[in-house]
Amino acid sequence: MAEAPLLELRGITKRFPGVLANDKVDFDLRSGEVHALLGENGAGKSTLMNILYGLYTPDDGEILLRGKPIELGSTRAAIEEGIGMVHQHFMLIPVMTVAENIVLATEPRYRGVLLDYDAARKRVRELSERYGLLVDPDANVGRITVGQQQRVEILKALFRGAEILILDEPTAVLTPQEAQELFEILRSLKSQGKSIIFISHKLNEVLEIADRVTTLRRGVVVDTVPAEGATEESLARMMVGREVLLRVDKAPPHMGEPLLQVENLTVIDDRGLEAVRDLSLTVRGGEILGIAGVDANGQSELIDAIAGLRPVKAGKITVGGHDVTHARAKATLDAGLGHIPEDRHRRGLVLPFTLSENLALHAYRKPPMSLRGFLNLRAMLSRARRLLKEFDVRGGQPTTPAAALSGGNQQKVVLAREIDGDPAVLIAAQPTRGLDVGAIEFVHRRLIEQRDAGRAILLVSLELEEILSLSDRILVIYEGRIVGEFPTTATEEELGFAMTGGTRDEAAA
Amino acid sequence: MTAFAARMGDVRWTAPRSVGIFGITLGVIAVWLALPPLTARTELLPIAIGIVAISAGIWAWSRDERRIGGGAAMAGFLGIALGIAANQSSVANLDQVVVWSALLAATLRYATPLTYAAIGGLYCERAGVINVALEGMLLTGAYFGIFGAIETHSWAGKWAWVCGILLACLAGMAMAAIHAIWAIHFKVDQIISGTAINFLAVGITGYLFINRYGDTGTPGNVPDYGIPDVHLSFMSDWYFLGPIFGQLNLMIWLSFVLLIGTYIFVFRTPYGLRLRSVGEHPRAADTVGISVYKIRYIAVIASGAIAAMGGAYLSLGFVHSFNENMTAGTGFIGLAALVFGKWRPFPTYAAALLFGFSSALADRLPTAYGNQWGTLFQALPYMLTLIAVAGVIGRSIGPAAAGRPYVKQ
Amino acid sequence: MSDDRGENVELASSQDDVSQLGGTLGPAPSTQFASRFDGFTGIIAPVLTTILAFLVGGLVVALTGKNPIKVYHAVWNGTGLNWFFHVGSYSARVPFTTAHMWFPWDTASIAAQNLQQTLLITTPIILTGLAVAFPFRCGLFNIGGQGQYLVGTIFAVWLGTSFSGLNPFLHVMLVLIIGALAGAAYAGIAGILKATVGAHEVITTIMLNWIAVWVGAYLFGQGGPLQGSQPSIPISNDIVDAAKLPVFWGLKLLQGLSIGIFIAIAMLVVYWIVINRTTLGYEVRAVGFNPESARYSGISVARNYFLAMAIAGGFAGLGGALDITGWEYRIGENDIHASNIGFIGLAAALLGRNTALGVGLASLLFGALINGTSGRQLDPSIFRPDLAGNLTTIIQGLVILFVGLNLGGALIWLRRRFSS
Repeated sequence: MAEAPLLELRGITKRFPGVLANDKVDFDLRSGEVHALLGENGAGKSTLMNILYGLYTPDDGEILLRGKPIELGSTRAAIEEGIGMVHQHFMLIPVMTVAENIVLATEPRYRGVLLDYDAARKRVRELSERYGLLVDPDANVGRITVGQQQRVEILKALFRGAEILILDEPTAVLTPQEAQELFEILRSLKSQGKSIIFISHKLNEVLEIADRVTTLRRGVVVDTVPAEGATEESLARMMVGREVLLRVDKAPPHMGEPLLQVENLTVIDDRGLEAVRDLSLTVRGGEILGIAGVDANGQSELIDAIAGLRPVKAGKITVGGHDVTHARAKATLDAGLGHIPEDRHRRGLVLPFTLSENLALHAYRKPPMSLRGFLNLRAMLSRARRLLKEFDVRGGQPTTPAAALSGGNQQKVVLAREIDGDPAVLIAAQPTRGLDVGAIEFVHRRLIEQRDAGRAILLVSLELEEILSLSDRILVIYEGRIVGEFPTTATEEELGFAMTGGTRDEAAA
Repeated sequence: MTAFAARMGDVRWTAPRSVGIFGITLGVIAVWLALPPLTARTELLPIAIGIVAISAGIWAWSRDERRIGGGAAMAGFLGIALGIAANQSSVANLDQVVVWSALLAATLRYATPLTYAAIGGLYCERAGVINVALEGMLLTGAYFGIFGAIETHSWAGKWAWVCGILLACLAGMAMAAIHAIWAIHFKVDQIISGTAINFLAVGITGYLFINRYGDTGTPGNVPDYGIPDVHLSFMSDWYFLGPIFGQLNLMIWLSFVLLIGTYIFVFRTPYGLRLRSVGEHPRAADTVGISVYKIRYIAVIASGAIAAMGGAYLSLGFVHSFNENMTAGTGFIGLAALVFGKWRPFPTYAAALLFGFSSALADRLPTAYGNQWGTLFQALPYMLTLIAVAGVIGRSIGPAAAGRPYVKQ
Repeated sequence: MSDDRGENVELASSQDDVSQLGGTLGPAPSTQFASRFDGFTGIIAPVLTTILAFLVGGLVVALTGKNPIKVYHAVWNGTGLNWFFHVGSYSARVPFTTAHMWFPWDTASIAAQNLQQTLLITTPIILTGLAVAFPFRCGLFNIGGQGQYLVGTIFAVWLGTSFSGLNPFLHVMLVLIIGALAGAAYAGIAGILKATVGAHEVITTIMLNWIAVWVGAYLFGQGGPLQGSQPSIPISNDIVDAAKLPVFWGLKLLQGLSIGIFIAIAMLVVYWIVINRTTLGYEVRAVGFNPESARYSGISVARNYFLAMAIAGGFAGLGGALDITGWEYRIGENDIHASNIGFIGLAAALLGRNTALGVGLASLLFGALINGTSGRQLDPSIFRPDLAGNLTTIIQGLVILFVGLNLGGALIWLRRRFSS
């Protein structure tokens, strides 16, 4: 059926410093359909939708609504055109009620001046019943569940007359049951004539709810296919591609003693929910254990707990033979842990500090870096010189501030510092995020080197290539649990399947 | 009303929270019984009641209501201490100092500049801009208020105070505008720009004051055209309320209006909703099309006007003169009242009354006990705030985005 | 990966790693604020700020009908800084002896006496300036220097008047050390509150300021426990001679310069050493720049918050003790109310960008300004001293206002914009 699409994006291009986020993207949405936008992290999905919602302006390309070109310079303009967006991180005000959040900026008035709370409540209830999105208008948004918050966000868009709804990774924060409820709602909305764009990387869900699927990879549209007839394997192939994997040459592992042991670990996240559930893993000296998984499935909390930065609710953690379950960061580091944090700017480095000072962030407490409370600058400098040379850090002297270096070199500094501490266990979280190919190669080579030196390395990454290339063993984490263990010969499809909950369903079936 | 009654019905009277509040009340009662008119002359009474208060506090603490529990224990200790102190003093002295009608009237008077400052701060901080410059705005209003009245006296006669108040508002808004531009546009640290305003206010008002009135001080006839008191003649014979409410300054009555108006505006109008949204989650407000910058500018400048009115009351309605740096920290007490009152108008006013009461008491103590106790008591509002910020209130429960400059993407 | 400010997650991962160097008028939460003040823009910004502040101050003077140039000239003469410009050949007395030696400046001239006064005032400003600078490096804003200073003076007077017959060296050391410790403990209250319940140090220190004022006024007021032997005057007794600091320049009777200035300068050096050469300073700076990274490296943020405040209080308290032992020798209720050294120190620290040299020079600037505008020095026919005092306050306010703008950074940014 060739009907004119409701919405068309033609040739959309958007550049950010150093990266082409969207490259001549064509995308169209038909009236009354659910169109899924699929791709890995960094593929350009959110950028494209932010353009559609008026948060960014495209460098090139045009947007047509019902055949007419429109300018979307602001979110207000987008709202007026009937486009509503439910962000991944909700734009809700926790201290206000559901009704207040929904009517904000378009409030019903009483006698022109006062806010008519009764009318607001009534309208919210009407909308809520019409679309099957059950919410309590007087509930405090900060206290309702995430699933309910999402419903409020959807209602917010509908309240403003949205005909087109964009949902950015809506199931990322939902339990499986809440996800099913969401799908019911989407079907109901669809039957009432709304058109929905559904951003996701979860293949099974996409197949369940979408009519058509567009896949993005590295800013380029791979293909747009009808969901009927597609399979998870075919989608995975489009999403991930058949490129040559950067495999590093490595000798088979020479396994030693278990140096990191995590037993039945349960960790609570910032929202008070269980992020890590009854998780166990072991890493031996001389091996790299890779943890694959989609973002926000508990990896960050797992690492924080091991590193002593987050309290442990239940379970046990042993590093190098020491029980560090309830130890804080300093004690854990002293027990033999090295930690390359996932955000080198916010957590890894002190940017205004010099390279010498950054390199000393653990070592400064002990001789020869300091003696009786006084820093030995000369020792720090000479150590810095040695490390900068050893790790081929370019762009600065020991006295250069870390902020002046490029990302790759900054990461080398973090690596140098952690490795020089001679840790028994080394955690590498997203070690090559935002780096160019040369830096990535360097980091990978170093990690293999440290593995061969007998350290136990725990690698957490969102890049499947990296996991497959470096790891000796691979665990897949999903919703806080380990759902699969794979050898280094696993394929990306197998991993992707597990990462999106596939193996768990299989196990249940 | 029904909502209130419903909430009262919901209260679990044996819950730790209620027990804690009960403890605080007991602490207050422990002192009150020792004072006129009851003047119970036994030290056992405050000790006994105080101990019950402390136990209530400890029990609440152990049941995880730490802050209220701590507050109850504190109230218990204070109750015992003050109760014993009252018993140590002679009844004659107590009678001289604790004249409730005079005390409460004075309380209202002292609380009013605090109220204006605090309410001004409420608008500003609810929009997400920290305002430590309330002191400076208060002082600015004090000077320009009386200056305006004196200068226009010759042609405005006894209505000169209106001009005074208008000029005070304008001056306060000008000072606030500086803070607004620095905080919102230049995105400077808001505490620094607020502190700068305080310095500038002291310097500018002092400079202008000495330049104009240096040798003679402000004229003595200001009471003729200062802000008038409101005489409620029908009240003049009423037993207790007469002396308190029968002759209050206009600005005090206005402050009641301001409180009610603020409550309605902030919590019952769409504009108030948007104001609060900007202070809690400016990005969310932005995504529904609210202009964060515009609302913040308006809120900051309004706070300058309101705080300045409080200053005008101080110089034109209370002491009828001006002296260098006459506000002496009142603005900060107002800020403290705001924090104590959790940024809501009526609890803030309750805090302002509490602080006003301690000032009123400090005023009357020297008549019986000598100057030094009056002086020491002046430290009480600050101690109370310190305790509140440290224990009873806890961490930041103000508008979530306060202090963070908003950068539009 | 997850950004709790609701910003686009993908954007964070796809941007290049060009980090934000100082020099743009970007957002400034308090920790980034600390990083601004670290020599990026060197000396340009403070000089620009000062010039701008004096310009605007001069404007105020002009607007009220006086000649700013004449006023500034009169103030300058009163500061004693012109002493350095009169080089000649004189005979000066070597301090603490009766011998004389050749010296290129006249140590007994009027300008010399003015300079003594300037340096006397500079001494406590240096210390209250350090009291602001040190916690600033840790990301904390200590407005409580005034209260901590007062606590130092209270303990100094108390100890100075309570004992007699002690060895002078011991007595002075006792007073100075206890004064510093008292200030440290007082500031430590705010530090503990910040470290444990996270109470904002601005509110707590402001409250503590006023508590110190009123408790001090009570102590030394009429009927107060520390009031001196004259019951009608609310002033304490003088401290015993043994507790007074030796005066090395000028006459003690005429309020000559005590060795306190050297102690203050020594404290500047101590500050520099601690910040730049000790593990404590390292931790403080790390927490000030990036508490998250510091935490990830095992540094205890709470402990450093407490220590930063306590040390700050120590500096301020020492300043109070130096003032008492150096020239005040007593304190009265009025002095306590009138004192604002803590706030001048605040302006000096901000102007001096929290560095040792900067604080030193800025303190000298403000010390000179205050002396030059004081009743002692300024000819009332040119400009009334009380007007001048307020002018000083205005200039301080302007300094703080313009300091926040990071003028040096703005200059660099402008240069960059217009050269490319």
